[in-house]
Order: sequence, then structure tokens, then C-alpha cells
Amino acid sequence: MKITCSSAELLAQLQTVARVASTRSAVQALSGVQVAATADAVELRATDMEVSLRVPLTADVERPGSAVLPARLTLDVVRALPAEQVTLELRPSDQDVEIASGAATFHIRTLRSEDFPPLPEPGGDAIVEVPAAAFVETVTRVARSASRDETRPILTGILVSASGRELRMVATDSYRLSVKETPLDRELAGSFEANVPARALQELVRLVPQGGEGDEEAVLRVGVRANQIVFETGGAILSSRLIDGQFPNFRQLLPDSYEHELRINGDEFTDVVRRISLLAQKNAPLRLAFREGEVTVSAQTPDVGEASETLPVAFTGEPFEIGFNPEFLRDGLESVDSGDLILKLISPLRPGLIESADGSGFLYLIMPIRLNV
Amino acid sequence: MDAFYVSVELLRRPELRGRPVVVSGTGPRAVVTTASYEARRFGVRSAIPAARARRLCPQAVFIPPDFELYRRVSAQVMGILREHIERVEVVGLDEAYLDLSDLQRPRAAMRRVVAEIRARTGLTASVGIGPNKLVAKVCSDAEKPAGFLALSREEACARFAGAPPGLVPGIGPKTVERLAAMGITTLGRLAATDEAVLCERFGPNHGRDLLARARFHDAEQLTLERVPVSESRETTFPQDVADPAEQERALVALAERLCTGLKRPGRTIGIKVRLDDWTTVTRARTLAERTSDPLTVSSVALDLLRAYAPARPVRLLGVRVAGFDAPAPEVDAGQLALPV
Repeated sequence: MKITCSSAELLAQLQTVARVASTRSAVQALSGVQVAATADAVELRATDMEVSLRVPLTADVERPGSAVLPARLTLDVVRALPAEQVTLELRPSDQDVEIASGAATFHIRTLRSEDFPPLPEPGGDAIVEVPAAAFVETVTRVARSASRDETRPILTGILVSASGRELRMVATDSYRLSVKETPLDRELAGSFEANVPARALQELVRLVPQGGEGDEEAVLRVGVRANQIVFETGGAILSSRLIDGQFPNFRQLLPDSYEHELRINGDEFTDVVRRISLLAQKNAPLRLAFREGEVTVSAQTPDVGEASETLPVAFTGEPFEIGFNPEFLRDGLESVDSGDLILKLISPLRPGLIESADGSGFLYLIMPIRLNV
Repeated sequence: MDAFYVSVELLRRPELRGRPVVVSGTGPRAVVTTASYEARRFGVRSAIPAARARRLCPQAVFIPPDFELYRRVSAQVMGILREHIERVEVVGLDEAYLDLSDLQRPRAAMRRVVAEIRARTGLTASVGIGPNKLVAKVCSDAEKPAGFLALSREEACARFAGAPPGLVPGIGPKTVERLAAMGITTLGRLAATDEAVLCERFGPNHGRDLLARARFHDAEQLTLERVPVSESRETTFPQDVADPAEQERALVALAERLCTGLKRPGRTIGIKVRLDDWTTVTRARTLAERTSDPLTVSSVALDLLRAYAPARPVRLLGVRVAGFDAPAPEVDAGQLALPV
């Protein structure tokens, strides 16, 4: 293998792909990045056996072939290259790759290519094309609710459903539940439902270019197989193992009715919650005390201090106080887009619901903390 | 609990009461797990080789351990403790710390607990009461069997001033040796030693810690729920094993046994190798993903063993899995959850 390319592009693509490489694995090759050159294309590949990523690299191929380089070290080397161009050449007899740029030469020992697994290929018959921007938007709204607790693998995923003219994602760590339903402009040519590791989708979010012109049109090609999902976007291929098992039925978790339904200025309320949360440390709950026409948000941390702030809300009925984990409440408020939000409550020990008032299809169900008063 | 394993054995073999009894394995390298107080008079102590115990006390009755039974009895004893005391920290099959701070009359309460353990299990326990775990532990050991001692911190300092420093948990044999080399052979002398001198000799943290222990200062809280940080299985071979193939077979068997009993998958896999000259090494590797898969664990363990390539015959092999699940985000105890 021998290729020549721009140092800057190599660095950019390497940074993207190296995030997926395993940091510590029994198989050394998994901590590497595979450089695979065919006659007309070069690809960088990495995997940790759960999530795999392949990104294209624009390069002149002098000699096709492939080599697995240690990701961390190679990244450090490429970041420090002195010249705009760089040449990578596999030297089989020395079992290393020569990286030459300007007057600098590096020889980096390769990792065992045989141990680097073949990565999933895109294609197959069940490909669904989804607008990339809508997909990414939906992921970012719900991702924070996915569990990081590996003892419950099912909850570490995001349930992604796409069919007709709707994209829906659900995530829950059992303390809160996020649901986002995104309407699509065009009917999808197919449908799928899969529990995808949240980590894989967060990588995907980084992969899809955002905010640039023409991105509205960018398309994400999604292929779901027995236990695997493959995303293709802008020449990159991200694949992930799917999570086995039945994802909780979110509809059964949503209460049928609520006692209180309050329309609140979302930005104002979020600001209050952020401020008062500063004094809710060491797992102390944030208290919301509702009285006729107002809510007082307060927090208290023993040996640290306390804070409170009152803001007007259209509350009527028996006063009550409910406690929430400040971080969970903040996550919910921040996931509602700006504008007004609707806060629905039942009683101090029943779940509360936050939704956007503009009917944008976002729900955030949050379980309270039992207050010892 | 006093001489716990032996005492449990005597429950089903009362005819052995009053005789020296030793619970130990049977192999050539077995060690004594517990000796009855009669056997202790002959110098038989826990952790000495069984062969030596036989020489010291040939008339003793040797009984192989029945851990299944000990666990059952232990659970019964701990259950009795929990009926009386809300906060209990179990630190082994035969030992627990109890938080008595809410009790009006802690001594009376503990007398009742001990009486009930005796009535319901036939076993005797020793109690130590103090302002912290350190004093309580030393007191509980001071008057075994069936001891009952309550001391303030100052009283403990005075009473154990003449005892060797090793009496206090956390001051190990190596430290005792180094202290002796400095002429410090009693807790009293250690307590009176200048902090600067200890810090210079043992480093600032260890130095200050030694002084605190010698003065029976301890701020450690009860650990109510023990979260294991690692699990391991190891075996001492009846004869040293020089053949790599045989070592590897043993290692794989250990890995399989370990994985079978593993409650949670772990990320770090380690081995322990002790050579015939008692050189003991550990090697570990951390994986990208947690595993409890016997194939993965044994292949990593084999890798580590091959990389170490024991230069001498191997006396002991062990496999360990650590690095269990990352702690879930901390949530308040009162946090309610959805039924998912």
C-alpha cells in the first residue's frame, strides 16, 4: 500500500474514525485504524466490535493494499506533520508503515491485519432513505434520556421507528422518558424499527454535517438487518449492533390524565431551574412548590446553603410540592425547543410531563423524588 | 463470632467439645482456617500450614471445612443482628459492625443480642463497643471468647499502650518490622512518636495514618452495602507445575469456574502466578467491553500467562475479573422510577 494525500484531510478523517476505535481491547488490532486502499479509493476504518465506522479519504493511490495502524499514536503523528502533503507506505518486510511529510519520516509498526474484522457492507434490499437533518434533530432531542447503566442494556439504546411520514425515537433510563415524533415532508419508501445503542447514534450525529447549505437535502441511507443497522451518509458508513430484547412500551408509561396543566415560558423557567440548581448539590432534589398563581423553585444542600425563586404560573387548586432531580429536570427543559412549554402534573409522587406548547411532538416524562417533609 | 468454623462443627459433633479441633483442608499445602481455643494453646493459629499444626498438636481432630454450612449459619446470625440493629455492616462470615449510635443503652442491647445468638444458634460471640470502628474491633478481639468490652478512645489508648502495634487493624507485619527497627515496639510508643518522624519514614499519608491508628482515631463510616470490586478464583497446586500445558489447562478451568459464578461482567481480567520460590506476580489487561464470557476471560488470561512465561515451576495460579459496571448516574434515594 502506498498513498499520498493532504495532511489536513488525513487528520480530519482520522480524528473522526479514531473515536470509534477501541481504547482498550484484548485484541490489539481493534485499537487501530485500518487504512484500506483500492485502485481508486481509500477508506479509514475502525471498530470496537459494537460500533464500526468507515470514512473515505481523498488520496492518490500508488499501490493498493491495507494496513492497521495504532490509532492514538498515528493521530498524534499526523497532527504534528510539518508539510501539507503526506505519504503513507506499507513496508511489509519491516512490518511498519512509513509516514513521510516534508523532511520528516516516521516508521510505525503495524498491528496484526488478520485480527481486524471485516466491517459490515452497506446495501442489501431493505434500505430506507431518511432526511439526515430530521434524523439528527430527533436523536439529539431524546439521547439524554438513554441509560448509561450497562446492567440494563435495553435502556442504553434509543428505539428508532420510521414509517410512512413519521420518524419517532424513544429513550428512557427509567427515571425519565423522552419521545420525539418528527413529521417528514415525504413518504418513506419502507419502514423499520430498531433499538440502536445511543452511543452509535451520537457518533452518527457527529458524522452528519450540520448547518451548511444544502444540508436540508442530505440523505441518510439506513439498512436494518437481523441484528445490525448500517447508516450511510456523505460517503461514510457507520454500523452498529442492535440491542436485543423488548424495548418498554412508552404509551403504557404515559399517564392517561393529569390534575394540572400549566403553560409556562420555557426560557424563563429553564433559567430559574438552572440558577436554583446551583444549590442542589450531592443529589439534593429541586423542589417545586405550587400555590395559587405561582411556583417557588427551591433547593437546599446541607452544609452548603439554599436558594429559592418564585415565578408566576397559572396554578389553581390545593398547593403541593414536588421534588425532581435537578439534572433530569434541566435535561427535559433544555430538550424542549425554545418557546412556551406545557407542564403537566398529577401529585407529588406521580410522574410529571413536559411538552412543547407548539405541538412539535416532543414529550418528556419525569419521575419525581420523594421529599421527606 | 468465636472460633466460628470450629464452633459450628462442634454443634453437630458435640463429642469433640473440650478437645483441640482444627478446621483445615487436607492437601499437602492446606492451611488452618480455624482452631479451637484448646488447639490454640498448642500454638495452632489460623493461616499456618496444616502440616505444621499436625506437628504442634498431633492429638487434635482435623475437620475439612464445610463452607456451605458456615454460610447458612452465618446468614442466621446476621439475621438476628438485623432484627435488633438497623445499620449492620457484615465484614465476613463471622464478623459485623453495628451502628449503636441511636440506642439509649447500647451495652444492654448488645447483651440481649449475644444472648439471643447463643439461644438460637448455640454459638458464642464477642462484643467490642467503642466510639469508632477501630476501638470496637480491637475491643471485640481483646477478651475472646465470649468477650464483652466497651472502651472510650482514651481508655483504649491506655489499655493497649503496651500491646504491639500489629494489634491494630491496618498496621501490617511489614510496617511492624519497620517500626521495630525504629525502636517502636508498642502502641503507646507509636502514639507518642512525633508525626514528623513517622511522616519522614513512611511518607506523609501513611505516617499520619499510623499515628491516628495508634491513638485509636478512626472516622470510617459503616459500609452498609458491600460492592465487590473484583472477583477471583485461585488454586494452589498439590505439587508445583512446570509444564506450560498443564498450567494453561488449570488456568482455563479457573476462568470457567470464575465466569460461572460471576454476578456482573467485568472489564479487567487479571492473573496471579506464584512460583515455587514464592515470587508472586499479577498481570492484568483491561478490555473495551465488559465480559463474563469464559472464552474471552480464559483467552486473555492465557495471553497474560504466556506473556509472563513463568521461569520456574508454578505453585499457585489465579484468575480475576474486575472493573465491573460503571456506576449508574447517582440518583437520590427517594428517586422514583418508571416500571420499565
